[in-house]
Amino acid sequence: MNRFTNRTIIILASLVTSVALADYTPGVEAWNIESAPPQQTVVVRNATVWTAGEQGILEQADVLVRDGEIRAVGVELDAPGNALEIDGTGMHVTPGIIDAHSHAAIIGGVNEATDISTAQVRIEDVIDSESINIYRQLAGGVTAINLLHGSANAIGGQMAVIKMRWGASPDELIFEAAAPGIKFALGENPKQSNWSNDDPRYPQSRPGVAQIIDEKFQQAVDYRQELQQMPEGRRARNVVPPRPDLEMDAIVEILEGVRKIHSHAYRADEMVMLIDIAESFGVTIGTFQHVLEGYKLARRMAEHGAGGSGFIDWWNFKHEAHDAIPYNPALMAMGGVTVGLHSDNPELARRMNLEAAKAVRYGGVDAHDALIMITANPARQLGVGNRTGRLEAGLDADFVIWNGHPLSVYSRVEQTWVDGRRYFDREADRAHRDAVEAERRELMAMVLEEGESGGEADESAAEEQTPGWLIGYRASELAHDEFCHAQDFGHVHAIDFRSGE
Amino acid sequence: MNIMTRIANTLAMAAVAYALVASPAVAQQVTALTGATVHPVEGDPIANGVVLIQGRDIAAVGVGIEIPDDATVIDLEGSHIYPGFVHPLSALGLTEISSVAGTVDNTEMGAINAALRVEVAFNHDSALLPVNVAGGILTTHTVPSGGLIRGTSAVMNMEGWSWEDMTIKAPAGMHINFPAGAASDSDNDDLKKIESVLDAARDWHKAMDAFEAGNAPRPARNAQLEALVPLLQGEMPLFLYAGQEKEINAALDWSERQEFQRVILVGGPDLQYVAERLATDGIPVILNGVYAMPTRRWEAYDMAYQAAGKLFEAGVKFAIGDGGGGFGATNARNLPFHAGSSAAFGLPKSAALKSVTLWPAEILGIEDQLGSLAAGKRASLLVTSGDPLEPMTQIRRVWIDGEEYDLGRSKHRQLFERYKGRIQTEAE
Repeated sequence: MNRFTNRTIIILASLVTSVALADYTPGVEAWNIESAPPQQTVVVRNATVWTAGEQGILEQADVLVRDGEIRAVGVELDAPGNALEIDGTGMHVTPGIIDAHSHAAIIGGVNEATDISTAQVRIEDVIDSESINIYRQLAGGVTAINLLHGSANAIGGQMAVIKMRWGASPDELIFEAAAPGIKFALGENPKQSNWSNDDPRYPQSRPGVAQIIDEKFQQAVDYRQELQQMPEGRRARNVVPPRPDLEMDAIVEILEGVRKIHSHAYRADEMVMLIDIAESFGVTIGTFQHVLEGYKLARRMAEHGAGGSGFIDWWNFKHEAHDAIPYNPALMAMGGVTVGLHSDNPELARRMNLEAAKAVRYGGVDAHDALIMITANPARQLGVGNRTGRLEAGLDADFVIWNGHPLSVYSRVEQTWVDGRRYFDREADRAHRDAVEAERRELMAMVLEEGESGGEADESAAEEQTPGWLIGYRASELAHDEFCHAQDFGHVHAIDFRSGE
Repeated sequence: MNIMTRIANTLAMAAVAYALVASPAVAQQVTALTGATVHPVEGDPIANGVVLIQGRDIAAVGVGIEIPDDATVIDLEGSHIYPGFVHPLSALGLTEISSVAGTVDNTEMGAINAALRVEVAFNHDSALLPVNVAGGILTTHTVPSGGLIRGTSAVMNMEGWSWEDMTIKAPAGMHINFPAGAASDSDNDDLKKIESVLDAARDWHKAMDAFEAGNAPRPARNAQLEALVPLLQGEMPLFLYAGQEKEINAALDWSERQEFQRVILVGGPDLQYVAERLATDGIPVILNGVYAMPTRRWEAYDMAYQAAGKLFEAGVKFAIGDGGGGFGATNARNLPFHAGSSAAFGLPKSAALKSVTLWPAEILGIEDQLGSLAAGKRASLLVTSGDPLEPMTQIRRVWIDGEEYDLGRSKHRQLFERYKGRIQTEAE
């Protein structure tokens, strides 16, 4: 814990109130907002519109938004008189970016790293709605993310898809239309390869991982049968029902096709293994996550119906990553797989457009198809393809305005809209900077004063909250899947400028 | 000796003989790259320019250059030619799979390792090298990491048959990590340890001088102290690492007190807050990574993206790095994108290109050989489909030291070709 005293916190709170009365309203914390931006009727005019849908790229086109929905995409659209007109000349408009693999807004507990199966635990119970990552990723054009457990166990826990409604409560962030899902993990992490282990847990090998998943599915089949065999009405009084089992409930949902598997996987063999087991239970896998060797079984994945959600170019950081290649998305797409690109990293998530750009570099994916890998395809993988990920009439108004080609390294996000609300505006952000800095100085001065008058706070108090090179962050904002990489370079997620590893 | 061994030996001898015959011919071979837009980095782009290569080096760059009759002419119309990227700070050659200890040689145990030389462990056949050459990294400044006094680094060619061939400059500098705690604690134990070793090295050097002048017996050999003498004599620059603003300032104060003659500061985006001082003092820096979280939670989202632009505005000489380390080494090929993103947030595009070519070459003291396309420099260059700071751009061909590099050596390209064939076959 930090060393702010209660009195300091009261002072901070009262100061925030006084600042809030000024012309700038920063809300409870720097960059946060007190209430959602209004839902606006808006028309973006004369822009290059990347629909990520059948219309492809439209030049000098308009996008009309009303009541949180896209109403029309086309040329010279009629707009209501009260519509906010945005001149999109020279600008590009794309759907909001969807990141199908994130740990960026989870209050601790990314890994429930105990049992080999923890299907009963739920990310929706630990969403950090105040994570600064939400705002920072909006500034990179991200409008929805899939919060997943880590990869410590073969069957991880239940995921939560959220929309980046900055300032909203955890409940309000939930993207209610998303298909229920669950994290699985294969390979080095569930078999505990990369850290010292005084008390090893079964399994310690890939066959063991396969065996335990198969066994859990068998148990769920039996559990479901017991439930189904429960008599109804009066006859039920004479039968002892099966003991409620939250873990089995979740796995039964998998068997029923209600809950989709999103499985961390690197090597081809382990992906074929999971497909094999899934098919033996009549289950279709949602996606393979990371999917490094997906290109080796592209046709098999497509035939089964599993999507691929991967890094574009991470490789060789673990032994099981030695055959990862950046041509993977291009090859999987060639094989008929629905391909998405994800971040798995709160910093990388801020520039997913450049990850998509690399799919153009490696394997010559068409730029519009590359954009689809960070918009329409991840939306489909999360079961929200009919709600977001494309610019099309009837879909949610989740979109981004760029000052240039959306895959260019020289372009910036100018505005990001979610549900027809402008959550990020670079111009407003720049205007807020001075106010944020002034507020910080004022708060620090008060904290220092408090320290001198007997309190314990000093300027380093805030700095002590975050280890490493970063200052003032909450641990949840730097949270990542600590098992996703070997422990000796866990700090990769926050670049160690000293290369000190 | 069995028959197979004899055949192998005969072949090996034949190969040696061929190399002896072939190498003078290679040295004189002239190649003219024509038709492309040439981006020399120093000076404006040249449409339909010529790069004339003779042996290892560039003989001429420009238009209207006379092409000798015996030159091999390669038409590159529709492409662009740029110098290769110079990575200012990486673990390339020293690391393979960072989670597999047996493949990791960029860190050593202990705090004081002044006598380490990294070039001796540079694995010329590391799978990371061709992959990153295919991404345009043709030169690496490979550095030791971990500990306080870390040892000496080396500027290495990305292609060659052994580390001896590939060494462009070694030692390139001594590496010292300014202890984070020393910024707010003048009694910091780690800093005191560094200072005591430096003082001992000064004493040792004095004793050695006295011995050489015939005034004293020879001091006992001490590899660590001896290795520090070139630094203390100003014959070798110091790469001094510091993270946050207050540490950077403290590190600069300390290096002034130590009277180091040539200091290159290595730090993160906080360098922008010290830009005026760095410019005034003429301290070059390596901005070690642009793709980073803002140092402080309350800072603007683009704080790290705009760091290079702020350094440029203030007139600081800088190179852009990528954070280095074992994980970074696998994707050193992403270095140019750090520069490109800086250009989206305030750095002029021409400066962005220099920050990963000419300026690292200057900071490393190899600008007479690399960093731009100019007569007399090594012919190490990229043929691209467009701007090489753009992730969408494809690198089509590469020359290193006057010879075309086979990009098919990249494991990634090999697996791509192999499985592309399989996927296509399955489709039929």
